[in-house]
Amino acid sequence: MAGIQLVGVNKRYGGTEIIPEFNLEIESGEFLVFLGPSGCGKSTLLRMIAGLEPVSAGQIRIGGQDVTASAPGERDLAMVFQHYALYPHMTVRENMAFGLRNVNVPAAEIDRRITEAARMLELEGMLARKPIQLSGGQRQRVAIGRAVVKEPGAFLFDEPLSNLDAALRNRTRVELARLHQRLKTTMVFVTHDQVEAMTLASRIVVMNRGRIEQMGTPIEIYRKPATRFVAGFIGSPAMNFIDAIPVAAEADCIKVRLADGTELQTGVPTQAARKDAKLVAGVRAESLTLDDASPVRGRADVIERLGERTLVYVTLSNGHSVVAQAHRESPVASGDLVGLHFEPEHVHLFDEAGLAWHAA
Amino acid sequence: MSARQHAGRRMGDHLILAAVMVLALLWIAPLAWVFALSFKPNAFLAQHTDVVLGAPYTLKNYTDILGTSSVFRWIANSCIVSVTQTLLTLVLCSLAGYGFARTAFPGQKALYVFVLAGLAVPEQAVVIPLHRLFADLDLHNTYSGLILPRLAAPFGVFLMTQYFKAIPKDIEEAALLDSTPRWKIFLRIVLPLSIPAQATLGIFTFLTAWNDYLWPLISASKPDMYTLTLGLAATQSNFAQSEGIGYLMAQAVFAGLPIFVIYLFFQKHIVSAVAGTTVR
Ligand SMILES: Nc1ncnc2c1ncn2[C@@H]1O[C@H](COP(=O)(O)OP(=O)(O)OP(=O)(O)O)[C@@H](O)[C@H]1O
Ligand SMILES: [Mg+2]
Repeated sequence: MAGIQLVGVNKRYGGTEIIPEFNLEIESGEFLVFLGPSGCGKSTLLRMIAGLEPVSAGQIRIGGQDVTASAPGERDLAMVFQHYALYPHMTVRENMAFGLRNVNVPAAEIDRRITEAARMLELEGMLARKPIQLSGGQRQRVAIGRAVVKEPGAFLFDEPLSNLDAALRNRTRVELARLHQRLKTTMVFVTHDQVEAMTLASRIVVMNRGRIEQMGTPIEIYRKPATRFVAGFIGSPAMNFIDAIPVAAEADCIKVRLADGTELQTGVPTQAARKDAKLVAGVRAESLTLDDASPVRGRADVIERLGERTLVYVTLSNGHSVVAQAHRESPVASGDLVGLHFEPEHVHLFDEAGLAWHAA
Repeated sequence: MSARQHAGRRMGDHLILAAVMVLALLWIAPLAWVFALSFKPNAFLAQHTDVVLGAPYTLKNYTDILGTSSVFRWIANSCIVSVTQTLLTLVLCSLAGYGFARTAFPGQKALYVFVLAGLAVPEQAVVIPLHRLFADLDLHNTYSGLILPRLAAPFGVFLMTQYFKAIPKDIEEAALLDSTPRWKIFLRIVLPLSIPAQATLGIFTFLTAWNDYLWPLISASKPDMYTLTLGLAATQSNFAQSEGIGYLMAQAVFAGLPIFVIYLFFQKHIVSAVAGTTVR
């Protein structure tokens, strides 16, 4: 088991800087998820940790040792690739044994590890098959098995679930969580799927354009997104953003006037926020409920009944559209005029630089 | 409606099948003729060459070959040259192709273009300089002289480069993480995965080498060093003194046997190589 440190890591391809300067300490045994939109440099980062891509500057340490110049095979890592990357001409057993033979693990030990991994991943009947004779989910389990038998210091995953269908993705996700609980090995996981990140991570690193936007536990990131980017990226449906202008500070908290002219009392302490002329108020659907007494009014146009709750897309009087949440059996119908209640303690304010202010 | 479409397609298939069969028969007719003539006495053939199936028959042409002809020597020469040339071409093209596909070095692109430019050089244009070169090196009438010039195979390098490029990179990256040294990645991962391309290139190289005529004609002037094509051609041009048409035909049949045997073994690969598909 090994921690991983990235110190001042920089990556450029020719003239373009993909990762400006990256500092991160991944703790031994943690499940760390890199989350970010496509092209933000997650895979590049992971591949630099693996040694498949050289760093342009900076240092990578694994288990306290500087491995910046080491070959991938010398880093005590195992990686699971998005497209499985199994050796097509070898059987499942050979796929798992190949790397172990390269480092002279005794045959009896190889057999023991393969047997155990096969049992854990339900691959027992398939050891003699070639990858082409397996389903996508089975192939991914073999790829995970090939990583597990190496008993590495850390696992690297590059979007390992994105080629699976929805049901299988959920199942494999749970299996991965179990695997981590059982092995307690450091895992670094790259994804652009926020549900995967939220469910698997002990810590999420949200990335944008090669930079860290925010680091924290899933709940921290969900409750207190540090920037507007994070707030908009995490959560489904995406957070509602409404232009707002600060008006008089009532009590200790900021009051804003929303774009449609109505005023909204937030829970954000007055002294916390900068006195920008323009702000953006952010609120998630779950904190925006239907309430006919509210002065904020709009017309419901699309109703999505998800079973456990109902999402209501409301067009405000100024034409702005927001999504609110209603009870699963709410009688609301398309075309209804509705009032919207904001829960003050769950309203976030974002200044012009995109930084967030939250209720105390 | 759909039944009629189905019938229509079946109809089309039958027509194509019939056409293909006619073509195949046309194609095989001369071969069958050669085969039939090889069993006829030479004296008889001096008068008629149009009787294919009827009597008289004889095996004398074949026993003559076994007894006297240099055809065995020529077949041996052809085998040595073709097999060696095929193996060396596979080794060289695989190594070069992997270098071009997977390593980066200064001038790589320019070098690749330079190699491919070899495709545009007609054989006839370099035959005289080659002849001079091999004369100076004193390599005419040797196996090296027959094989070496054919090892510059730009098409093979191109084929292998493209094939290696198409192997997913992450398989090799997985091997790197599995602590596999570069040479082992090449031997244990890349080469096994390129067997379809190796088969295609190997078959083409072998057939081309076996049928090669121009270079052996220039390089091998002693009958002992003749390849089969050369030997047969020499026998034909000596028709006046030759032992007769039947004998000639028997030699041709004999000469075709190795290729026929190879075809039996590699049928699947040859068909797909020619059709441009890969065998899995
Ligand atoms: N070999 C390369 N040469 C030049 N640019 C590259 C190269 N590889 C990646 N990039 C660029 O680096 C950036 C980051 O790529 P990367 O693959 O790390 O993104 P990602 O976050 O993994 O995205 P995705 O979620 O789509 O996989 C992209 O803008 C990409 O265009
Ligand atoms: Mg990626």
